[in-house]
Amino acid sequence: MNVRRHASIGFAVVTGALLASACGSTSTVTAPPTSAAASASSTPTAAAVQTGNPAAAQTLSEAGSSLLYPYLQKLAPGVNAAFPNITLTPAAGGSGTGQSEALSGTIDLGGSDAYLSAAQVTANPGALNIPIAVSAQAINYNLTGITNLKLSGSVIAQIYEGSITTWNNSAIVALNPGVTLPSTPIIPIRRSDSSGDTFIFTSFLSATNPTWSSGPSFGTTVSWPTVTSELTASGNPAMVDTLHSTPGGIAYVGVSVEGAALVDGLGEVDLENASGSYVQPDTTTITAAVTAGATNVPASLAAPLIYETGAQAYPIVNFEYLIINPSKITSSDTALAVRTFIEWAISSTGGATTDNLNAVGFVPLPTTVIPLVNTAVAQIAG
Amino acid sequence: MLQWVSGIAATIPLAGLLFITVILVVWAIPAIVYSGFTVLTNDRFFIGNFYSTNFSSVNGVIAPFHASYGALTFIIGTLSSSLIALVLAVPISVGGVLMLSEWIPRQLEGPLSTFLELLAGIPSVVFGFWGLTVFGPFLGVHVFPALSHLGVVLPFFKGSWAYNGQGLLTASLVLTLMIIPIIASTTRQLVKRVPVLASEGALALGMTKYEVVRVVTIPYVRTGIIASALLGWGRALGETIAVLLIIGMANNPPANIYGTTSTLASTIAADLDSALSDGTGMALRAMAMLGLLLLIMSLITNLTGRLVVRRISSDALPVGRGV
Amino acid sequence: MESRAPRLRHVRGIVFWILCGIALLLIITPALAIVISVLVKAAPALKWSLLTNTTQNVQAPGLQNAILGTLVLSLGVVVVAGPIGILGGIYLAEFAPKRLGGTLRFFSEVLAGVPSIVIGLVAYTALVVALHWGFSVLSAIIALSLLTLPYIVKTTEVSFAQVPRSLREAAIALGLSRITTIRKVLLPPALPGIISGMVIALAISTGETAPLLYTASFSNTNPTAGLFHNPIGYLTYVTYYYVQLPGAQNQALASAAAGVTILLVLLLIFGGRAITARQRKMVARLDV
Repeated sequence: MNVRRHASIGFAVVTGALLASACGSTSTVTAPPTSAAASASSTPTAAAVQTGNPAAAQTLSEAGSSLLYPYLQKLAPGVNAAFPNITLTPAAGGSGTGQSEALSGTIDLGGSDAYLSAAQVTANPGALNIPIAVSAQAINYNLTGITNLKLSGSVIAQIYEGSITTWNNSAIVALNPGVTLPSTPIIPIRRSDSSGDTFIFTSFLSATNPTWSSGPSFGTTVSWPTVTSELTASGNPAMVDTLHSTPGGIAYVGVSVEGAALVDGLGEVDLENASGSYVQPDTTTITAAVTAGATNVPASLAAPLIYETGAQAYPIVNFEYLIINPSKITSSDTALAVRTFIEWAISSTGGATTDNLNAVGFVPLPTTVIPLVNTAVAQIAG
Repeated sequence: MLQWVSGIAATIPLAGLLFITVILVVWAIPAIVYSGFTVLTNDRFFIGNFYSTNFSSVNGVIAPFHASYGALTFIIGTLSSSLIALVLAVPISVGGVLMLSEWIPRQLEGPLSTFLELLAGIPSVVFGFWGLTVFGPFLGVHVFPALSHLGVVLPFFKGSWAYNGQGLLTASLVLTLMIIPIIASTTRQLVKRVPVLASEGALALGMTKYEVVRVVTIPYVRTGIIASALLGWGRALGETIAVLLIIGMANNPPANIYGTTSTLASTIAADLDSALSDGTGMALRAMAMLGLLLLIMSLITNLTGRLVVRRISSDALPVGRGV
Repeated sequence: MESRAPRLRHVRGIVFWILCGIALLLIITPALAIVISVLVKAAPALKWSLLTNTTQNVQAPGLQNAILGTLVLSLGVVVVAGPIGILGGIYLAEFAPKRLGGTLRFFSEVLAGVPSIVIGLVAYTALVVALHWGFSVLSAIIALSLLTLPYIVKTTEVSFAQVPRSLREAAIALGLSRITTIRKVLLPPALPGIISGMVIALAISTGETAPLLYTASFSNTNPTAGLFHNPIGYLTYVTYYYVQLPGAQNQALASAAAGVTILLVLLLIFGGRAITARQRKMVARLDV
């Protein structure tokens, strides 16, 4: 094992040096570790993680979260420019698909807004949740002429339970003094596929409404209470599309896709956070939430960022994960490509540029989380 | 030598069939043990909450929390959509074929029957595409409002529908179009074989064309129609992609005839990848159980149909798939 | 025949035939409507870039990977199901003892009735998961072959059965062996029928989606060599996936894929029937 390590280190150094001299692009080159048996978990800095352009062309297959998908589409050309032998092929399909296909080894990287469940971790020892960015989820609605609608998680939970059925319900009116709300029926729209957006949405509902918490609770699939007018959609773009065609509708939509909704004239809810203020998702409010939550992130990186305290904190914030099952990665070249991609993606000079992040409404990982990410990435070996 | 090799080749379909049945049964057993008879009586199908720290244990089988594998919704959806399609397809096919054979001049008959073959050849996904983008919206705007007046007499026709027409009725109508070629092609072959002596003799006796059809043709082709109707029903039961795109994929029986619901085939196709997230592996077993139910239903209709067809014995396999 | 007022009989006849006429219209109109509306929707998207770009291209997505994938899978069906089906059909036509032949024929027809999603589900659990092949070209080809095998067997058997008796009797009179008879005397006239059976199998596999969803999965890049752990794209998936996505570009891609699929399938079907028609004429000429 040591010999292989030295060989691949040496190789990475040479390749990296060639690359750096050839195109001056950002390629993290490893310095040979000072001690022969440097184990990754004891030196959680980027320097201990072996990265570099692989010897042969590697295609990293990715599928899963439709919330993460637009961001990966932005990253794909960049990583290929930095490391010509690495090609990322992202796809959508829902977080559930991303998780299961990554765990079974069908794809290399599984995009998921939700970390793995305990049962999945038990069934697949060594599987990793690796966050690469922080995103958020907005609640959108289709009511003409009404801007800045204020809602709380508890009220939204009651809507999706079917106990609040019209927009002029007293609970909604109480939150929005001075706004004339119509008597149109509320049509809740939810995801039909196994979805990370459902996971973070239901986590938020569980955190704000005890009936929801003891009932459907949270998950990528939950037992939705029967609401006869409820509509379903598969994937984030379809949520926007369905909402657009449904006057009186309400839907949960990831920020990376939300742009289209807002342009179309759909409204964005001012959501009540744990400190009682009403906020919308933007760089400030999302960063406030993740900063508050960053102190509680375990080594497994399975951390919800829901309903964090802070006057500015937006209540529905989450890490965007790449699910990786190292035991299914059989070639050291593939492992190298995976590690390289992730380290490049979280670096502010690599993938996590302000431009890329702002284009999809994401914010970068907090600095305190990066060492944990490096530790996890170092466990990916071929 | 050729005899041996070709003999082995001839047994491959049988081997394939056994393989399919065995795999389905073996995989479905844990889900069957877990659900028992509720498979057929419970309309709640939920693969469970994977994030709960509790598990659900029934009859010794461990499944995710709250998991319930009741297939009643899908059985209702499958049977109702296919039966509506059957009830509509038989008269349309038979009527159309009779029109073609009795009234359409010989020269036109060839080109017009090409339309039958056209309908037979359209792939399932194209039916779904057309249903979702053209037919459904058309029905939702122009036809359903008129039909809802029937709601006074038939309560099932009352109520609202999805803006794009997705739902049971639209799916059934598209299924009708998909099984018409099966029934029509068999009927056409049989109508051609009605003994000329009998039909022209009846005309000579002074019967109208309609009476000839009623008295001579229909009794002759009736068994064939029944057989091909059963085959068409089998096709409609197993239809996946078109239904998936059109029926709205709701996890409950439809509220009215326009309402969204699901079928066995479309649920398997839509939910198989979610099923893989289940750490206990039970969701995949539940899918196999749905597949087994579907297999049993289509085998029954198919076998019955083919046993009837054998008595008539036409030498072309009735159109059975996306062809 | 009861005597009824002639007028009433006449009227009943008219009503009946009007209904039948409506029925015929109900068959013709949707058939036309579907083909026309699909082609009309596809027309604006039919650019050269459809053939040169893959679905991965963000500005101008094309169908290159999907078309190539469909071709590869079709080739696979011909290579796998073709020989097995043809040999099986020959056995049933020439060698099988009556009862055994009847049983095998029966089960082959039962296989034809198995829904394609069930075949896909079984291929997924047995090949993709249990045997660890992953989403792979081979599992997709096996699923499609199981689907189309009964048709190839049946048409081969029928083609051989339709060879005129006189040819067989001539072969016996000449003292030819069984194998030589099959190869040199029966196969040539049966060949067009066999080919049309293969063409029908190709038409079926080009139009199928359900069995491929969980065996081939999908690939946004052109097919690569490798039977295992190798997802591959195919035309019907493009329609299925992109029609569910909002946005004009996605809908255009879905329409284009639907249009190309329909054209391919219809080409295959009418080509196959043309071959059968030729065969009938040839065989009729051979019958002395």
